[in-house]
Amino acid sequence: MSANGATHDSGADQTVVVSARRMLTADVCEFELRRVDGALFEPAEPGSHITVHTPSGDARSYSLTSDVSDRSRRVIAVRRDGNGRGGSRSMVDEVCRGDELVISPARNAFELMVASSYLLVAAGIGITPIRAMLIELRRRRVTDVQLVYLSRSREDTPYLDELAKLVAFDEIDGVTQPMTLHHRALHGAFEWWPLLVTPGERHLYVCGPESLQNELRALTMHWRPSRVHMEDFAGVSAFGEISMPFEVDWQPTTARIPVSSDQTMLAALEGAGIDVDSSCGSGTCGTCRLRLVEGEADHRDVVLSESEQADFVMPCVSRAVSARLVVAPL
Amino acid sequence: MGTWSGKYSRDMLGTIDSLYRYPVKGLTPEPLDRVALEAGSAFPSDRLFALAKPFGAYDAVNFAPLSKREYYVLLNTDRLAGLAARFDPETRVMRVTVQGHPVLKADLGTAEGRAELVELYARVTDLPDGERPVLAEQPGYNFTDNAIDGPRMMNTISLINRASIREFEARIGRELDPLRFRANVYIEGLEPWVERDWMGRELQLGGPEGVTVRVVEETERCAATEVDPTTARRDVPVVRLLHENYGHEIMGVFAEVLSAGELVVGHTVSVREEATA
Repeated sequence: MSANGATHDSGADQTVVVSARRMLTADVCEFELRRVDGALFEPAEPGSHITVHTPSGDARSYSLTSDVSDRSRRVIAVRRDGNGRGGSRSMVDEVCRGDELVISPARNAFELMVASSYLLVAAGIGITPIRAMLIELRRRRVTDVQLVYLSRSREDTPYLDELAKLVAFDEIDGVTQPMTLHHRALHGAFEWWPLLVTPGERHLYVCGPESLQNELRALTMHWRPSRVHMEDFAGVSAFGEISMPFEVDWQPTTARIPVSSDQTMLAALEGAGIDVDSSCGSGTCGTCRLRLVEGEADHRDVVLSESEQADFVMPCVSRAVSARLVVAPL
Repeated sequence: MGTWSGKYSRDMLGTIDSLYRYPVKGLTPEPLDRVALEAGSAFPSDRLFALAKPFGAYDAVNFAPLSKREYYVLLNTDRLAGLAARFDPETRVMRVTVQGHPVLKADLGTAEGRAELVELYARVTDLPDGERPVLAEQPGYNFTDNAIDGPRMMNTISLINRASIREFEARIGRELDPLRFRANVYIEGLEPWVERDWMGRELQLGGPEGVTVRVVEETERCAATEVDPTTARRDVPVVRLLHENYGHEIMGVFAEVLSAGELVVGHTVSVREEATA
């Protein structure tokens, strides 16, 4: 996760104490957080992040970077961004051991799927969730894992020694987890294609700047999209609106169909084998009109009049305000 | 800018900016320097194939024209734009590349070649293990969106006035790759939106050696145009923006070819002032 774009959580925020902090590089600081009441945190998965209310007043999201099975602590690493809006700067410059912070429960938007083979790519501070994944994969005894770690220089490479040890330990164990460390300034552009040409059964995880994600997304168009995982662009439509998941009930059969954040209600209905006639996919032509039997819709079309909006919905673009909509054909 | 010739003083003149065909419905365009057209026919090798959904309505034996929803197209699968597909109609060899790197060379004249192609697109469309798209091909049939409206519409060619796209871009403050609109013929040198008056009119495309066409329909756009052809991301709500800016969802026209001839990039386009039909 990037340090920006704090997410909202359903669970309650909690107060934690900074039990340790250490500089990993000149501008990356690791914080170890424990609950003030000494209790265990809720279970978390690798890839999860927490939202931290930073001393600057801004909320920032940071990936959990240590062994997530250790529920006595949450560990994050923060890169001090001198040009940022001040959230990360206030963390690195102002938060000391013994200070209290308010954090959200862990949330996962970067889920580590069960697979036999992994290619993990991290750039700079993007190593944080990838490191938690590596530790988890080591525990799962997955042998076919490759890490490509991009950074400016050895000195600017958080956790380099620990990762090297993790790899060495695995080699002793008969497990091979090759790691490729790459410094663009020294080695030039990384040659991705040999790693990507044959997708096989691998899952690709990428955490790094948007330019790297775009490059790897473009180079993996021949992969199954369900095996390419990166910071989530999904959930934002071409209309620039945030989309939340919801459920739709098809009244004629009472089938209950989940609509994920990155799919339209129309696609979810079609995916469930329900034939809804449609044409423009843009909320302009009116072909896909359904009856809205129950629930409050987030109308995003330009077809329905205000009075029609209570009784009809255009599933190609519109979504739900309520958790569930009940719809039926005309 | 429109120009005026002495001989055809009442004609608007433009030029052919570019020519494209789309051998597989939904997949990437192939630029052409020139193309020979027959009267009453579409672009050769245009939408010659389609990738039909498995277990869908496509029936190769008892074929009937189907909605685009029965195929993998940009409307439902934005990633299709991320793989560049080139088809050679002479050898029937299909080549697919990703960012210039070859990922497929398949002879569609063989069962093996067709299997390799659908295997690749089973991954791209993320079908469950064992399921694959159906490579649809029907003799004498083009899988254009308006083929469902009968052979006459199936055999039209699509035209875009690039000035209209530019005027639209200026209104929305965003650049739009003209290839979002997946036309056969892109025309330069005309005033924006003159094509809105072309219904029923004849055009001479490609000068005296070219073809006469008659405009028969305006092109209502769908959400396929939301996908940027370069990034394969759904990023601009083109149809919605057309609606908001103009009160219509039209960009471009379809025309039927009335006489045989050749279209060449750079050759002239003239538009008769008066409707002839």
